[in-house]
Amino acid sequence: MSLIKKVVTWARIKSPWIIHFNTGACNACDIEIVAALTPRYDIERFGILLKGTPRHADVLVCSGPVSRQIRDRLVRIYEQMPEPKFIVAVGTCACSGGVFQGCYNIQGGIDRVLPVAAYIPGCPASPAAIVDGVVKLLASLDAQSPAPDPADAQPTETEAHA
Amino acid sequence: MPSEEIVKPRLAGRFPALADRIVLQRPRRFVVETPAGQFDEIARFAFGDLGFIYLCTITGLDEGDNLSFLYHLAHPDGTVLTIKRSVPKAAPTVASIGPLFPGGQIYERELVDMLGARVEGLPPGHRYPLPDGWPDGQYPLRKDWKPEMLDNPTANTAGGTHNG
Amino acid sequence: MAKVTVPIGPQHPALKEPESFSITLSGEQIIETNMRLGYNHRGIEKACEARTYIQDMYLVERVCGICSHSHSTCFITAVEEIAGLAVPPRAQYIRTLIAELERVHSHLLWLGVAGHEIGFDTLLMYSWRDREVVMDALAALTGNRVNYGINTIGGVRRDFTREQLDSLLKVVDVLEERTKYYIEVATEEPTLINRLSGVGTLPHDDAVRLGAVGPTGRASNVNRDVRRDDPYLAYADLQFDVIVDTHNDVYGRTLVRVGELMQTYRLIRQIVKQIPDGPVTVKAPRRIPAGEAVSRYEAPRGEDVHYVKANGTDKPERVKIRAPTLANLQSVSRMLENNNLADVPITLAAIDPCFSCTDRMIAVADPASGRRETLSWEALRQHGIRWYAGRGVDFAALNRKLGRKLGRNA
Repeated sequence: MSLIKKVVTWARIKSPWIIHFNTGACNACDIEIVAALTPRYDIERFGILLKGTPRHADVLVCSGPVSRQIRDRLVRIYEQMPEPKFIVAVGTCACSGGVFQGCYNIQGGIDRVLPVAAYIPGCPASPAAIVDGVVKLLASLDAQSPAPDPADAQPTETEAHA
Repeated sequence: MPSEEIVKPRLAGRFPALADRIVLQRPRRFVVETPAGQFDEIARFAFGDLGFIYLCTITGLDEGDNLSFLYHLAHPDGTVLTIKRSVPKAAPTVASIGPLFPGGQIYERELVDMLGARVEGLPPGHRYPLPDGWPDGQYPLRKDWKPEMLDNPTANTAGGTHNG
Repeated sequence: MAKVTVPIGPQHPALKEPESFSITLSGEQIIETNMRLGYNHRGIEKACEARTYIQDMYLVERVCGICSHSHSTCFITAVEEIAGLAVPPRAQYIRTLIAELERVHSHLLWLGVAGHEIGFDTLLMYSWRDREVVMDALAALTGNRVNYGINTIGGVRRDFTREQLDSLLKVVDVLEERTKYYIEVATEEPTLINRLSGVGTLPHDDAVRLGAVGPTGRASNVNRDVRRDDPYLAYADLQFDVIVDTHNDVYGRTLVRVGELMQTYRLIRQIVKQIPDGPVTVKAPRRIPAGEAVSRYEAPRGEDVHYVKANGTDKPERVKIRAPTLANLQSVSRMLENNNLADVPITLAAIDPCFSCTDRMIAVADPASGRRETLSWEALRQHGIRWYAGRGVDFAALNRKLGRKLGRNA
């Protein structure tokens, strides 16, 4: 990976842009996700920004137990996100299907469809739990991806665009 | 005079055959089971003469050989009159209640999707509530339908608009 | 529990996702709106038949993540009616208290969402800050911010102490002060009044014909409120006014909701003052005798209707739920007639729909110009804000004013 790409990747993990997607939830978790953005919980102080489009997002924050009709759209949104990308399952339904397990129109949790990096249970997951979960995810990614060292740059490498 | 006091005498007065079928389940709750073919008249009378101008919703029931539809009508003063009609499952056709209650069409679409009712007079429109691509002939609220049946779908290219 | 897999069918790589709305335009003006509903269908009614009544109460509580107590209570009331249970008065008062606290958090949430849709984002920040006061109160009383789990068959699972009840009086005092300010903004700020007036008009006769309920109907002078008309819980003992308005538009729906907040504070004070002593539950059978009941409840969004049929076992024969949003969605096409594309987000938000708006796709077509595109909800919201800003309805100044008046971010 080129140095520029390494720096960009590291910067994204330090200050990720998130996209929020509801896969058939009752809305309780969605409201708590939005509440996490309001001043009392203020997830933005961690440098986390809510973005409208998957093409610029690093973290997909998902609620809901994945209904039949939304499944393809969920996958398409994930496919549009550039690497590296991570999914956070917010709420018990997103973790496992919750009370809707076994309902015929429900897949039963985000990880039935896509890989999940962090699970935040709760019915609904509280804003404090959401902030905590996202921050823990970032810390674990940070531990895996220390800041790039300019000394790693190889003189003959071309700087490809991300 | 509150509607609760007039429902039974006026309904029985207009439709004598109903007299024994009008039940007050508890204050402000009436149920009447209509004979086949008389539903439209009774509904129109309840709406126009008795003042039951709101349709709360329509409940569909799978009752074995028959499908039953419960039309829950409400009066501004709080009384609910449920009019029940039944059709054989082999020929589950009813006329739309749209002319009286335009808001009722969405509840009728639900009967079509979930119980396999046929509602004549429904204008073209999206199905409700099942997703496009739902296999034909599978009616989730029928007692003999199980979710496992979805794993063995029949051809399901039909979707989008459909009539009742 | 059965595992369900997506049926194997023809694979369309460019599978077009279903649009929730199809709007036909002439320029910016809306000619026709078609809606596709059911995107949030989860199969709850069928699931209810395979679960016990108590399990169903917890499932039904999650039909909507805002009106959770509404659905739980409406359902359990029908079951109790069939079983012939006499729920103790103190339990009814507790249920009513939670119901009205739920109405507060729901209406404050709505204020913020409405503000967000039109670009009045300080309203979102402040109303949701105030909403946290009632969320804290609900969490302190019941253990959760939403999905309170306060009900059981035959009453409620927890009792409240006199101290807990009295602490709500301070909560109500604080919220009433802040709500008075929102009413001031709603009735005196020309930017807001202009933006919301004449938008999403629903004439009275259409509101009746199409079955509009709750604040949506009441803003078109449909004088219906289940708490007064078909009393349940403790409402027959309590004094309150039903708020009706004649504007017929989004502005009217705003006035009705802030007016209802004031009535709700009145109700909470009465409940705290006159709640009777006594037990909070009666013993309930596991098997509910054969019978049926129609239960109605005035949720924050309007009339919620549950039908339950019991068959003598520990599981219901049938559970039918008609949430208020479904009734109100029938009016949206009429509301949007002759409005502009820019009005779609706030008009839909004004019925306070119980689904997540943020991921709906809207198909837009203008046959005369050949325009055909699909917009995300967010894109449509931005369009609405820009379009109106271009016509002088701009919330930048009001955002600054509200920011100064209500002080720094709490």
